[in-house]
Formats: sequence, structure tokens, C-alpha cells
Amino acid sequence: MLDQALYAIQIVAIAVLGFIAYYWGANWVLDRSLATNATMSHETIARRDRRRTRIRPWIFLAPALLLLAVYLVYPVFETLRLSLYDRLGQNFVGLSNYQWAFGNPADWFRSATDATGAPIIDAATGLPIVLNQGDPTFWRSTLNNVAWLIIVPSLATAFGLVIAVLADRVWWGGIAKTLVFMPMAISFVGAAVIWRFVYAYRAAGTDQIGLLNALVVAFGGEPQVWLGIPWLNSLLLMIILVWIQTGFAMVILSAALRGIPQETLEAARIDGANERQIFFGIMIPQIAGTILVVWTTITIIVLKVFDIVYAMTNGENGTQVLANLMYRWTFISGDSGRGSAIAIVIMLAVLPIMIWNIRRARAAEGAL
Amino acid sequence: MRRILLAGVSAAAVVFTSVTPGFAQNLAFPIGEGAFSWQSLADFTASHQGLQGQELTIWSPWNNEGDATQWESVWRYFEQATGVTVRAGSSPNYEEQARIDIAAGSPSNILILPQPGLLADFAAQGALSPLGPDVQAFIEQNYAAGPSWASLGQFAGPDGTVAQYALAYKQETKSFVWYSPDNFAEMGYEVPTSMEALMELEAQIIADGGTPWCIGVESGGATGWAATDWIEDLMLRNYTPDVYDAWVANEIPFNDPRVVDVINQFGRIALNNQMVAGGTAAIAATAFGDSPLGLFTVPPQCYLHRQASFIASFFPEGTVAGEDYDFFYMPTFESKPELGSPVLGSGNLVTIALDSPAARAFIDFLMTPIAHEIWMAAPNSAFLSALTTANLDVYSSPALRQQGEILTGATTFRFDASDLMPGPIGAGAFWTGMIDFLGGRSAEAVTAQIQATWDAIK
Repeated sequence: MLDQALYAIQIVAIAVLGFIAYYWGANWVLDRSLATNATMSHETIARRDRRRTRIRPWIFLAPALLLLAVYLVYPVFETLRLSLYDRLGQNFVGLSNYQWAFGNPADWFRSATDATGAPIIDAATGLPIVLNQGDPTFWRSTLNNVAWLIIVPSLATAFGLVIAVLADRVWWGGIAKTLVFMPMAISFVGAAVIWRFVYAYRAAGTDQIGLLNALVVAFGGEPQVWLGIPWLNSLLLMIILVWIQTGFAMVILSAALRGIPQETLEAARIDGANERQIFFGIMIPQIAGTILVVWTTITIIVLKVFDIVYAMTNGENGTQVLANLMYRWTFISGDSGRGSAIAIVIMLAVLPIMIWNIRRARAAEGAL
Repeated sequence: MRRILLAGVSAAAVVFTSVTPGFAQNLAFPIGEGAFSWQSLADFTASHQGLQGQELTIWSPWNNEGDATQWESVWRYFEQATGVTVRAGSSPNYEEQARIDIAAGSPSNILILPQPGLLADFAAQGALSPLGPDVQAFIEQNYAAGPSWASLGQFAGPDGTVAQYALAYKQETKSFVWYSPDNFAEMGYEVPTSMEALMELEAQIIADGGTPWCIGVESGGATGWAATDWIEDLMLRNYTPDVYDAWVANEIPFNDPRVVDVINQFGRIALNNQMVAGGTAAIAATAFGDSPLGLFTVPPQCYLHRQASFIASFFPEGTVAGEDYDFFYMPTFESKPELGSPVLGSGNLVTIALDSPAARAFIDFLMTPIAHEIWMAAPNSAFLSALTTANLDVYSSPALRQQGEILTGATTFRFDASDLMPGPIGAGAFWTGMIDFLGGRSAEAVTAQIQATWDAIK
């Protein structure tokens, strides 16, 4: 253990010093090789100055660009390639990995049997129709992801906003905000471990080590296997992410609320608006932009949700989500083709939100 | 940078034990004492010199403390004999880590896994080195049921040529029912010798106000496997080995009526709240290693627990085999005498993923009786060996010796089916299917789902 800590410290030191040496050294080389002095002609000085200004940004950008290329751009293309290859990534199979996941769109809304239960014969071939409606687990995961997408950002943003508004009105608001913010510092797996104990189940009649079941039993109920009840279990997993992300929403929205000009609130009060009208009519419209940013940021986190499901249920009992399904196919089943196809689906789903977010950020910068 | 990342990731996920070789090593058993085959160690030492200072990395499934310590006590002798420095690693997600290491091009020298199906994958990718015909001949001649153990380690390489890629080491027999002799004595129960008698015993326990079974199948990323063992054991007790083999190879569909029948026989127990401590709901929520603890509570939460030989290392500290707990062979149906005494088992397979002289030497070491005897003799071990040259007298307990004899004396031996099936089935759909079955879906529905998954990977 100590060995590893020392090793890690060494690596960090080498990396940091290495980068400092690179930036400083490269800058120094640039300044020296394109140095100017009074003996040079004006054109030379101007040319050298221009060239220096043009090269310098690249020197400083190069490490970031290189790392992005190696860890982001290359994996995207490699994943795309693998998604078109077989399980070991050796033979080209076209779109069949996607067909496995999505099935044949023509089959989605029809049945292979008629009302009497007899198979329907294809008139063209004379053979019974074989339906390909895609992988049920894939669809279930997609459905779960959609549920996560709707529920988690809405709840986290709503709770964050309510806490941000209310915490400013009581003397212990600061303490409350600190407590709400704290889960942000806990990793997803760490949070999952904590919540495993909240949802833990022990047989009726024995000591309940799970908080939720202890409460249920204390009020005379029967202990439940919370993570084994379809739909409710997914919801219980979502609560963990809401618990983590509410702090983030609260902090950003709290700052936005402070930015609302007091005059607008006072003017509303003088005009006789009640608290509810002020909140919905004055405050919300003024921080609408920030709410959207918070919402989309949480949305992107939700699309990538993996750790919580992996550590809590591993996708069993109908709680599977796309990221965990991708992991299962790639690393447990050893099928890089299907795993990559799911990865591409997740990427395509995240992309529009990312682009929209970047556009918005650009527009905001332009407005400043 | 990539190395840094990988190092960071593995440092977080993995416990590596690393030691500097020295003369003052504590060996588990002093060389030259006891009934061990010390001569084989001396011969091995004499023929494997010149490796001093080399390093050997080993990735194994043995990540719980007991197994890891006992495994270490074995490879210490290898270090002592050759001067090679061993770095042994494992993690609870050892299969995934092995796959990641191979994909990343940084596997350990020696890779040990209990899944032949997974290793067949690696061999087809060209990630493993063949061990050579000598190893094959050795297994065939020196293991009980040698050809079957040898064939478990034979896979097709990247060019399709079948070769010996793995050496079987550390076998487990699964067909055991564990119980507390004290509890049996107190209630006047007797060890059943037939499945019919076992069913009568279940009824008797319920009539006496007790609960017959403790079952738990939660196992993190591998949740469900413990239920698949039940199905396999019941399969061997209801149908001929041919049916079992056809099922494993998908020559009969997974939703064949015989498979459905066997799953429903498991359901007779698992889906009956009176039969299982905590009821059906507790099965999927209880960690497999925690579930047998119900045998040891006062009053007992259950009287019976079906699990492989290794489960003894999960029993409470200080419990003694033969006194606090004992086991009996999961009985067969009196009405089906033609099926004989089938034994379900599994085993670990040792392969070379990164060839080196030290790795070859290590394989040679594991073929010596002493490499088996050290672990057989380790206190509280669950190590069984099919190597016939290993001295049965060194087993640490009579119970373990009895298990070892069951292993070497089985009329029918079959390897764990889920480990033989392709990964997406044996380590995926089958597990999920069992969880769904415990959750209330019918055996017909889950087996049809598993077959559909199997069709989709053909």
C-alpha cells in the first residue's frame, strides 16, 4: 500500500515537473530561435514577431491536443470501427451489431402470430415470419435510461432550486447548504456503498441492518427486498444520483439567485405580488438560463450513469442501463462489437445535448 | 500517461502482494518434515536453476484472504527453489480484469481462471501460449479421470489448431450439502442417503417449525451463479450425462422440457417461502458467502446448505470441520439408480499469457506433487486435487480427505455447465435468467429468453 502511495506521488511529481519543463523550455527555445535585436531590419523584426505570435499558442496547446487526440478522438473512431466488426474485432460484419440491438424497424409493431395464435405466413416466401424486434435487454436499458433522463435532472434541479431559495431565509441555511452539498464530494461507487446499507434486506424476524427496512419494521411493516422490486428499484437507484446532484444544482442556482437585481423583487412587492408570484413570475424567468445549464449538465451525467447501477444491482431485476449493458457485453461477455455498438448509441444520444450546451456557452460569451 | 492511468486504475482495484526474495522466508511447512513429497521439490529445484532474479507475475481468482494466503504459501516454495520473484495479484472482478489486461496487451505471465469458456476465447485471440504435448500427456496419465481434465484445457488457437493451453490445478466438487451435526443430533435428524429421503427430511424440518435451506446467490457482478449450480446438480440427478453434455453444447435447446423440469425442481425449494430462510426474496439479496452463516446461528435459521467444497473458507472463524459443521454428498434419486453417483465440479486452469522461462518453470512446478500438497495441508483450506501422485495423507482434515476421495472416485464427473457455456450465456443470460426465475417469472419464460440470447450469438 505504501509502495503504491509513493509510486503515485512520484508519478504526479514527474508529470507536473515534466509539463512545467516542457512549457518553459519550449517557450524559451521559441524566444531564442526567433529572437530580435536592434541590429535587425524592421521587416525582420516584424516578421519574427508575427511568427512567434503565431507559433506560441500551438506550443501551449500541443499537450492538450495530443492527449485529447489519444484519449478522445482515437477511441471514438476505434469504437466506431469495432461496432462494425465481430465480437473479437477481427471480421467486418456491417451493421449487424446495430441490428442485434434495434432489430428490424419493420418488425417493431407487428406480431408473428395472428389473433388465433397461429404463425403468420409470409406471402412472398411461404415461410412463417420471423420477427427481429431487437434485444429485449437493450430496449429495457434504453427505456430505463429515458426514465433516468426525465426523473433525475428534474428532481435534482427542483430540489436544488427550492433549497437555494429557502436556505437564504433561515439562519441555519448555510449549514443546511453545506450538508446538501457534501454528497458531491462522494464518488458514485462510494455513494452506492452507502445506499446499499440504506436498502439492505435481512429476513423478517432478524435484525434489519438496512435503514429503510429498519424504519418499515419499526412501523410494523414487512421488510422488503427494495432492489428486487421492478420499477421501484430503478427509482431507488435514481434517488442516489438525485442525492448527489442536488448539491450541484443548489450551489449554481443559489449564485444565480443572488445575481437577481433586488429592484425587480422590490418593485414586484410594491405592486402587491405574493411570494409565489414573485418566485414564478420574477425569479424563475431571470435565472431560466442557469436552470437550463444545470439541467443539461445533470442530463449528460445521467446519460453516462454506470457506477451506481454496477455497484448496486449490476442491472439485474430490470434495472439495466445502457452504460452498464455496454460494460457487460464488452468485458464480461467479451463481445467488443456489441459493446461498441451500444457505446456509439450512447454517444449519439449525448451529442445533441453537448452541442446545444456548447452553443449556449458560446452565445453567452458573445453577449458578454 | 497511459501507464500512469493504468497504474492508477489497477492500484485502486487490485491488491498486489509483492515481496523481495530472501533466505529468511517463512515457509508454511519446513522442508523435509511430514508426509510431503519433498523429493519432488528437490528434483524440481535441481532441474530449474539459472532463473535467479527473474520476475513472474501471476493473476489468479484467489482474492479472499484465506485463499490468497494459502496460495502464497504455495508459490513461496517456487520462489525458494528458483530465486524467481513472484508478484501475485487478484481482485473480486478478476475475470473482467484479465480480459482488460489482455486487451491492453499487458497480461500477467501466468493467468489462472476457473472458466474454460473464457480461456477458450483468449486462446482463439492468440493471447495464450500452448503448454506443449508433454503437459497434456502428464495430465492424462497423472490425474484421476485424466483425459477429461486434459480436455478441459484444450482450446483452438488463432489458426484453429487445438492444443493443450491449460493445466488443471485446485479442483472443487460442488455436490455437497452442508449441515451442523449438533443441530441434526438435537432434532434427531439423520443424513439422507437418497433424494427421496432428503425431501422427507425437508418436510420433517418444516413440520418441526424449522426452515430447511439457506440459499444466497448475490455475488456482485456475478450474481446468480450459485443458482446455476443447483440446476446443474439437479440435472445430473435427473438425466443422463449425455443430456447434460447436449445442454452445455446447446444441442438441445435451453428451453427443452427437461431443463424446464429441472429448474422447476429447484423452484420447488427456492420458490417456497417455508423452504428457504428469509423466504424466496432473500435468495437474490443474500451474498453467497453469507448465506451458510444461518447454519451456525442459535436457533439455526436453516439446517441445510448446498454449496461447493470451497464454502468452508467462508464459515465463521474457529468452526471445526466434523464438529461444528459437516457435509454429505447431495443424494441421488433412489428411483433412478441407472444414473450412478454423479459429481459436479469445477477447477481452475493455469495458462501462460505472457511467455517466459520463469512461467514455463512455474507450470513445471505445479506438476510436482508438492505444489498440490502444500495447499492440501493448509489449515482451513478447501483445496482438492485430482493429481494422483499427491499424497492424500497430507489433507488437513478427514473431511477434506473424504471430499478428495469423492473427487477421485466419482463414476460420473461433469464440469460446471455455466463455466463451459459461452460467456454471454454462462456468465450472463443464465445468471440473469435465474434471478428472473427467483423474481417470479416462469421457468418456460426464462429458458426461452436464455435460448433467444444463445441464438443471437451463433
